[in-house]
Amino acid sequence: MAVHCPLIAQEGVIITGSLTQNPLQQPLGELPVIEFRGVYKTYQNGTHALRDVNLKIYKGEFVFVVGASGAGKSTFIKLIVREETPNAGAVSVNGFKSGAMTRRDVPRLRRTMGIVFQDFRLIPGMTVFDNVAFAMRVVGASNFDIRKRVSSALNLVGLGGKARSRPNELSGGEQQRVGLARALVNNPSLIIADEPTGNVDPNMSYEIVELLTEINRRGTTVIMVTHEHQLVRDFNRRVVMIESGSVIADSAAGGVL
Amino acid sequence: MKPQSMSYLTGEGLKNVWVNRMMSLASVGVLIACMLLIGVAVAFSLNVDKSLGTLQEQNVVMVYFEDGREETANLQSIDEIQHMDNIKDAVYIPKEEGLRAQLEQLGTEYEAIFSWLEEENPLPDGAMVTLSDLSEYDATYNALQALPGIKNVNGSRDVAMMVTTVSRIIGLAGFWIILLLMLIALVIIANTIRITIHNRRLEISIMKAVGATNWFIRIPFIVEGMALGVISGVLTTGLLYLVYSFATQSVNKYYPGQLELVPFRSFYLNLFGIFIAIGLFAGVAGSLVSLGKYLKREGSAFGAIH
Repeated sequence: MAVHCPLIAQEGVIITGSLTQNPLQQPLGELPVIEFRGVYKTYQNGTHALRDVNLKIYKGEFVFVVGASGAGKSTFIKLIVREETPNAGAVSVNGFKSGAMTRRDVPRLRRTMGIVFQDFRLIPGMTVFDNVAFAMRVVGASNFDIRKRVSSALNLVGLGGKARSRPNELSGGEQQRVGLARALVNNPSLIIADEPTGNVDPNMSYEIVELLTEINRRGTTVIMVTHEHQLVRDFNRRVVMIESGSVIADSAAGGVL
Repeated sequence: MKPQSMSYLTGEGLKNVWVNRMMSLASVGVLIACMLLIGVAVAFSLNVDKSLGTLQEQNVVMVYFEDGREETANLQSIDEIQHMDNIKDAVYIPKEEGLRAQLEQLGTEYEAIFSWLEEENPLPDGAMVTLSDLSEYDATYNALQALPGIKNVNGSRDVAMMVTTVSRIIGLAGFWIILLLMLIALVIIANTIRITIHNRRLEISIMKAVGATNWFIRIPFIVEGMALGVISGVLTTGLLYLVYSFATQSVNKYYPGQLELVPFRSFYLNLFGIFIAIGLFAGVAGSLVSLGKYLKREGSAFGAIH
């Protein structure tokens, strides 16, 4: 069974299609895209990063994850992308269950999502086009597909005219939009944005979140970690607040920010 | 893996040789030094082997038959000797031939004085026996001595032992020197790849984040290591040719007719093969060793890049 999500096609046209294989081989139906059940994470140095986290995120949701530094937001993200494994409880993402995953499943899981980093993570020696294309080369896309879809992704984030520029020739906001195009280019069903506005000016922050909102409107689930409470209030979406490793508020469950 | 991925990754690996050109240059330089030493060790060992081989062929054992034996019995014994273990050759020397050879050695001025010996030849019939392996000298000597109709066996045991010992020492020393140099080559390549990994950790983290398999990440590094190995192998063969030509010219100049070095063309292809094999092995193993630890850490996709 496939997960449906927006696809980037030729000349910037957005169509809907199937992309990601569900390894469970059963209809997702109302199953959450992400589910945390009684998750605990303690690092080797004794830090309790997460305690008894229970959370469900459904297809098409836009979720802000907020909390102070050291609250456990990064660990929450790391468990989603399978950089860390829980000490207790279970994490399920796009049908991949933490307890049943092998090392080989990790790349497969990550191909179902796009990640946007706070520090952009663009390769300085590559052009904007090549930075975005890089994500497609990793999954073995043909040159023909790369040319088509990279252009579409750059048009979507409003950087169609800057394909030949180098990252250092762009503003912080533009660089983050390249990062967003890279996250989108493989048509993921889920976008994880780890403080994407952390290194851009306030005006650009709004543009970035607006872009994420637009991507979400087209069916992609978006999880955005942020410190910026004003931004969260202005966009009025589901908010999950983490403090000392526990979810202390979830607007979907009636919590308030 | 798809063909387009393979060609992309190979291209990336080769590109990295140029991108990290200072490190590549340092690695190729040290690899050449190691391989050149290996080449010199091999060339030296081949030449010593050749000299020892000549010495070994000259080191014959003389077997003397008891007096009064029929020639047919002696020839039967020769046949028996030829079929013994560790015997390369056995040539029958009747006593008349033996005496003639001795007189020839004495020279014409003494030939007339000792000519009466031809009437009453005191020498026994004998055989000149060449051994295949001098390290088995004692066992072969005893076996010959134990044959019926044999009066005594004369040989240069000391020379045989010396040749065997030198040959063994050179073989052993050559093996350890080559092994040590190969290990050094491996460490050098692994170090270069480690630095490349450090320089490219941003790309690796992005690759991991977008779902690259570990093999996808490894291939460019392996290609880079292999390319460094092959470049070093080709350059070392060329350099060794120059060094060996110079050595050959010097030997011909200072020891004309006395020493003859093994020709370069007779062994350079094998040596080139060894260099390429060392380079490829060091490239592949060095890359895998360096990447192994790095890729095991799942944290690199999201970890901070400093």
